[in-house]
Order: sequence, then C-alpha cells, then structure tokens
Amino acid sequence: MSVEARERRQPWILLSPALTAIGLLLFVPLFFIVVYSFWLRTATGADQAGFYLDNWNEALTDPFYRDILFSTLRIAAITTVACAVLGYPAAYFIARSKGNKALLLLLLMLPFWISYIIRTMSWINILGVSGAVNWVLLNLGITSEPIQMLYNEPTVILGLVHFLLPFMVLNVYVALEGVDVSLEDAACSLGSTRWQAFREVTLPLSLPGLAAGGLLCFVLSAGTYITPLVLGGPTDAMYANLVFEAIITQLNWPLGSALSLMLLGVLGALVLVYNHYLGMGQLMKGLG
Amino acid sequence: MDNTKRYERMRERYLNGDLDRRKFLGLIGAAGLAYGVHTPFARQALAATEQVRFDGWGGVVSEAFRKYAFDPYTKKTGIKVVDGTFGGGDEYLSRVKASQEGEYNIAHLSGVFDYARYANLGLNSTLNEANIPNLKFVIPKLTDVFRSVTDGTLSCVPYDYGTTGIAYNRKYISDEEAKEKGAKLLIDAAYKGKIGGWSDWRTRVWYASLQTDQDPNDATDMDAVWEAVRTNRDLLLKYWQSGAELMSLLAEEEIYVTEGWSGRIYALQEQGKDIGYIDPPNGFGWQECLFVIKGSPMEACEELLNFMLAPETSIAVAEGQNYPPALDPTKVNLGDKIPTLPAFDPTGKLDGLTFANPEYWNSHEQAWSKTFGRIQKGY
Amino acid sequence: MGWPLIRVYTLLVYLFMFLPVAVVVLLSFNASQFGSFPMTGLSFRWFVELAQNEAILRAFRTSLVLGALTALISTTLGVLASLALVRYNIAGRNLISTLLIAPILVPEVVLAVALLLFLNFLSINKSFFLLLMGHVIFTLPFVILVVQARLVGIRRDYEEAALSLGASPVQTFFQITLPLLAPAVFAGMLFAFTISFDDITGTLFWKPGGVETVPTQIFAMLRNSISPEINALGTVMIFLTVGLPLLGLAIARRMAMQRGG
Repeated sequence: MSVEARERRQPWILLSPALTAIGLLLFVPLFFIVVYSFWLRTATGADQAGFYLDNWNEALTDPFYRDILFSTLRIAAITTVACAVLGYPAAYFIARSKGNKALLLLLLMLPFWISYIIRTMSWINILGVSGAVNWVLLNLGITSEPIQMLYNEPTVILGLVHFLLPFMVLNVYVALEGVDVSLEDAACSLGSTRWQAFREVTLPLSLPGLAAGGLLCFVLSAGTYITPLVLGGPTDAMYANLVFEAIITQLNWPLGSALSLMLLGVLGALVLVYNHYLGMGQLMKGLG
Repeated sequence: MDNTKRYERMRERYLNGDLDRRKFLGLIGAAGLAYGVHTPFARQALAATEQVRFDGWGGVVSEAFRKYAFDPYTKKTGIKVVDGTFGGGDEYLSRVKASQEGEYNIAHLSGVFDYARYANLGLNSTLNEANIPNLKFVIPKLTDVFRSVTDGTLSCVPYDYGTTGIAYNRKYISDEEAKEKGAKLLIDAAYKGKIGGWSDWRTRVWYASLQTDQDPNDATDMDAVWEAVRTNRDLLLKYWQSGAELMSLLAEEEIYVTEGWSGRIYALQEQGKDIGYIDPPNGFGWQECLFVIKGSPMEACEELLNFMLAPETSIAVAEGQNYPPALDPTKVNLGDKIPTLPAFDPTGKLDGLTFANPEYWNSHEQAWSKTFGRIQKGY
Repeated sequence: MGWPLIRVYTLLVYLFMFLPVAVVVLLSFNASQFGSFPMTGLSFRWFVELAQNEAILRAFRTSLVLGALTALISTTLGVLASLALVRYNIAGRNLISTLLIAPILVPEVVLAVALLLFLNFLSINKSFFLLLMGHVIFTLPFVILVVQARLVGIRRDYEEAALSLGASPVQTFFQITLPLLAPAVFAGMLFAFTISFDDITGTLFWKPGGVETVPTQIFAMLRNSISPEINALGTVMIFLTVGLPLLGLAIARRMAMQRGG
C-alpha cells in the first residue's frame, strides 16, 4: 500500500469508533423521530402511522412555539455572555497561577457532586424569603421586610449560569494552557502594555476555547428544562419544557418529535456556522 | 388469562432443554387441571417465573415494600422482585409505551386517571381475584371505580388514597378565613405573590371549577374555568412540580397558601410547622393502585399483590408516605398513626370524598392539557 | 487588568460556585429537615441514616462505576476522533464536526425515547452496557470540543520532529502528543464523569431493572420529600474529592519541610 493511501485511510480509522457509536445510537434513532413527526396522535392516546403534515404545520405556524423559541434563544444568549464574562478571567487565573491547577479545576467541578435537582433547589435556601441572603440583610438592618428574589427570569439565568460556568472555564482554561506565557512577555518587552499584550497575543490564541465554551453554554441552556421548572415563575418556560410536555405529559410523541426537530434545526444551523467561522477548518488556516 | 402464553413459554424452555420431560408434562397437566385453582402443581407452574418487575416511588415507600413484601415473597416463592423507581406517572407511562411487552409488570400508579389511560392504550390485564385473598380487606368503593372502567374486571388493586386540599400558613391565614373562602382563597388578590399551585392540569381545572361554583366532575362553563385558571396564574408565585417542592415552599414561607397533598402537609405538621389543611366542599379525592401491565406473568404478580396488600405491608407503606391504605378500617386494625392521617375515613365508606370521574376527565385530556400548557406559560 | 484584581475576581466566581454547595453541606448537619436561616440545631443524624441506607449506597456505587467507565470510553473515542479532525485534511470536516456534536443538540427527552424505540425495533433488552453507551454518546461532544480546542494549539512541528527522528506514529502520539494534550484529556474526563454522574433524563429511560443511580434515586424521592441523607452524601463526596487531596498536599508539604529542615 502506498504511503498516500495509508495517509488517506488513517483519519477514518481514528474516526470510525466515534462515528459508529453516534451513527448507531443517535442517527438511526433520530430517523425514527423524523418518521414519527409525520404521524398523528389520536384521541385515545395511540399513535396513527401515516404521512400527515399537521404536526409540522402546528410547530411552524403557531406563534406560541415561535415566541417561546425566541425567548429561549434570548435567555441562552444572555447566559452565554454572562458565562464568558465571569468565566474568562477565572480561567486566565487558573492557567497562569503557580498553585495546584488540577485542584483548582476540581474545585470548580465541585457543585456537580451535588445532584442537579438538589443544587437548583438549594437556591431557595439562599435567595428565599427565609434564606441566607435575606437573613443577613435583615440582621444588618438593610431591609425591614424580606425581599422576594426568586422565581423570575433573572433567577432562571442565575441557575443556568451556575450550571454552565464550569464548562466555559474549563474550555477557556484548556485553550489558555496552550498559549505560551513567554509570548506575552515578549510582546511586553517590545513595548506593549500588559493589556495590549493580552489583547493582541493571548486573547486571539484563546478564542477557540472561548468559542467552544460559548457553543456549549448556548446549546445546553437552550435545551434545559429543569432549571426553569424549579427557579422560574409561572411564565418563564423554555422551549425544552414544551418538548418535555408534549412527549411526557401529553404523550403526544408525533408533535414532540416535530418540536424537537425544529430545535435541532436551529441549533444545528448554529453549529454549522460555528464550524465554518470559528471551527477547526478556519482556525487551521489562520494558524497555517 | 394467559395460560396459553405460559404454555408457550414452558414449551420453549422444554425444547431448549431447560425443563426435563417429566416436569414439562407435569406442568402441562397442572395447567390443564387447575385453571386458576391452587394446587401443588400450580405452585410449580408459578416457579417457572423467575422474576417480577415492580416500579414505584423511592425513599421510604420502596424501603417499606422491600422489607414487608418483596423479601418475604421471594423467600416463599423463589421468585425475585426486581424493583425500579420513577419520578412521576407520566414519565413512567412514556417508558412503558416505549418498552417491550413483559418488560414492566407491576407499578404503583395514580388510581383512576392512569388506570383509564393504560386501559385506553390496551396495556391492561385481567386479574384472577381468587389468587388475591387479601383483596377482601379493601374498601369496596375503591375497587368499584376500576371495575367500571374495565367492564367489571380488575387490572389493579387499590392501594392508598388521599386528598388534594388547601394548605395554608396559619401565621398569616386563620382557620376561619380558610374555611370561609375555601377554594377561592387561591384566587384571593390579597395574597398575590404568596400563592402556590400544582402544575397539573387536572388539579387546576378541578379547583377552577370549584372557584366558579361548578361541579368538578361536570363543568359546563369552560370559559369561566379557564378565566379562573388565568386569575390564579397571575396571582401565583410559582407552579410547583413535586411534593418535595411543595413542602419546601410552604416550610420556608415562600408561599402562604396553595393546594397540597394531604400526606405531605401532614408530614409538615409532624415536623412542627404551623400549616393548616382543609378539604373544601367537593375537594379533590384520589387513590393510588398497584397496576399489573399486560404481558406480565399473572399468577406470580397476583401472589405478589397479595403480599403487598397484607396489612403489615400496607400499614408500613402508609405510615411512610402518610396516605391511608386502601384497607377497610372496619375489617382490619390499622394501628395508632393511620387514624390521625388527613383524609382518613374510619367508616371505610369514603362518602366524604369526591373522586374524579375517569370518563369525563380522560375524554378531555388532550384538549385540556394543551390549553392549560399554554395558559401556564402566560398565553 | 492587574493580577490582584483577577485574583479577587476569581475568588468571587468561586464563591458564587460554592454557594449552593455550602448550603447543602450546612443542611446535612441540620437537625430539622428544612433549611431556613438561622438554623435550629446541629446533628449527625443524616450521616448515620445514610450509612444504613443500602439503596442509596448501592446507587452511589453504580453512579461511580458508570461515570468512570463513561469517562474512559468517551475520552478514548473523543481523542481519536479529534486527532483525525485536526491532524488530517479530510473531506467534509465541518460536517463531521457538526455530526459529532449533534448529541447535545437534541433535547435529551427525545434522544431517550428515540433510542428506546430503536431498541424495541431490534428487540434488544435494556442493559447496563446500553446505559453506558447512552452516556458515552452524550458526553462525547464535550470531550471532542475541549480536546479539539487544545489540539489546534499544539504545534505540528513537535510531532514532525519526532517522526523525522525515526519515532513511529504511535510512539509519537504517546510520547509527544499525549503529554501535550494532557490538560485537555484530564478536562475531558472530568466533563464526561461529572455529566454522567449527574445525568437524569437519559438514565431514567435507559436504566435496566434493578439499576439505580444517585440522580434517579433522588428523582424517585421527589414526590414525598428528598431526605437530607442526600445532602449528607454530597458532603461526604465533597470531603473525599477536596478534603483528601488537600490533606495529602498538606502532609507532603510538611514532610518536604521536615526534610528541608
């Protein structure tokens, strides 16, 4: 076999386990979902096989679904920006600190040892009217009445940021770890300020991590349903709640399938854009 | 019954060499001879089943079941009980719907609604009541509801009951006020931002019917009902999803009033929280059952149901979850704690409770769950 | 931004992350079941009950094994796939990258039901292996994203130098690339483990009979009330992951000082 042919085959050998797993356990099942989205749910709850466009018609034209999809994307965007603003400096600190980095990272993942539901519900003990924050405020005499802080959009975002921040920090940290500190020093010695050196050398080189973290935060917050259930008020539902309700509460799998394919479409387009502009291909060119 | 199926399975095992010829013929004979009657042979046929799957709530409930029913059952029959848990009835039904026949056997379900839903989906079985002697202790009114859904037969045994009444913090709302306002306490603008509500469409429609002075099992003016649901939503701090959340919201004084599950409110009172609980006229009564899903090994399941209905199991489970058992207190001594539980009826007639009419509710399920889903989200 | 400022900022970020953790740890010592402030009494009762609760302990062991295996398999697959994507010029790279990230784009409920439908179609029974593979599928994107981002930053020159000095591609990978990749591999494993450890929706649907993880146990307690034993379990885990390494570090430092002195 020629060297070239081997060169050509190698990446596919490396990719084959991951692609097989994803193909078999994601794409084939997804095909079932596509088929299901054209079925109909009958009044008794059984599904009627066939080719009906009703679910798609409903999912695409009903302003109810569209409105919630947009507000979900908005919440996801705010969450992502908040994670970046909070997470980048922290990741920078970990990457440049002389202490025990592994321990710092492990500490960051600490909240995950406490189950998601418990963690989310524990905000009641912190921000609730008889929670820790109000107790401190009352005792300091800052307020005379406990403040109602929970169950609105900001608390949903707060819960999401708390859940997703570690993903952002880890991604940025990993990218920063790959940036040589001496590059920044060199820039400084050539007369730039610290801030200039950071902006022109470190920041661009850490962009892949920031982008990967941002993508994760955005996609995961767009797909979340427990956080708005626990921390949201009556009108703070997100798109995944609709999917969950259609599939679990109403047992309407055909409609739920159409709804989730719609979300998949929107997020998939986003990932394609990411891969085109910030993804590997583009970055390789930039580095090459 | 599915004796044919049992035969098929035995034949398969015989052909595979798992059963020897004599035993096989003996079992066939037994199956033919003893149709539903307990004979030593039938006992052997029972042993052909190796395990039964049970799904229910976790924590104290599953601990009580394991100790008082599963372990003694396994000791007696040699059949293993594999137990699983679920977080809610809807989620479990989705799992059953996506499963293969025979994978799930018995489940601890919410009585009438789920029963009718499973029956509609063709997931019900037919119990041979002669195999469940403990069924005689059960309050007849509870079984009658099920029989009416499945043409006089049973696919489940009733297990416990409770109410969804009104729970209020007595520091802020007096007993008199609660009694006077009843269901309308939940749409009282004076408590705006301090009201909670279960995010279940049936409970919402039920209470909205009460708030608009209609029969909860036959509301005629649905526009008024939905208007009341909207009014409630606008005054609400939060729709809660689980008993854990309900208790935490009340205990931490996030909310002063909500509808609540009798057993959970009792648990709060037990811990010294000053929470009042009333069932308004036509308050929401409900029951739970142990449902046997189609395709299960019937005789093995019936025997297990009998263990689970046994007074000591029923009482242990009831004391764990604070809902009275389905056993008739005039026939069984239920101990000291159970008579103190809310919703408990010492007469065993349950005349004071209004249960949901499954036909009425399930015929509107699709439309109403969707409408509520929208109202809930502010539309 | 000056270094001290970054330090304070990071400290605040960590404080924010620790708030719920602190509450859970505090409440695990609370005498009553509900946590309003100020707390009413101190007690070890939940730890005692935890130690006797066979169901939770068994679920905990299952979660640990499941998480560890998921991390191992997912990271292996992810590193291989990332190498192919970053180190080779292959046709349709963008598309393949997108496909590999797809598992986190589908709402988990849908993925869960879809996989069950497929299994039914094939008449395959649920098993622990299947649950494991399900976890691998949706942790894979996390690993791939983090490893790719790092791999792009590792210059090809090092690998080429090794290759030109006569090392085989496999040797090069293990001696040059992998050590450089280590932070990303560590991060990827940490991701995969924690996500698997914390997953609820997929696990609910895929778990076979008799298998429970910590989150599914908690979920099943939601109707009645979550026992503070769960808080106690969280406290134990936090002590194990943070307390022990810190203790080890302190002992190591002490020994080094004694040797030095």
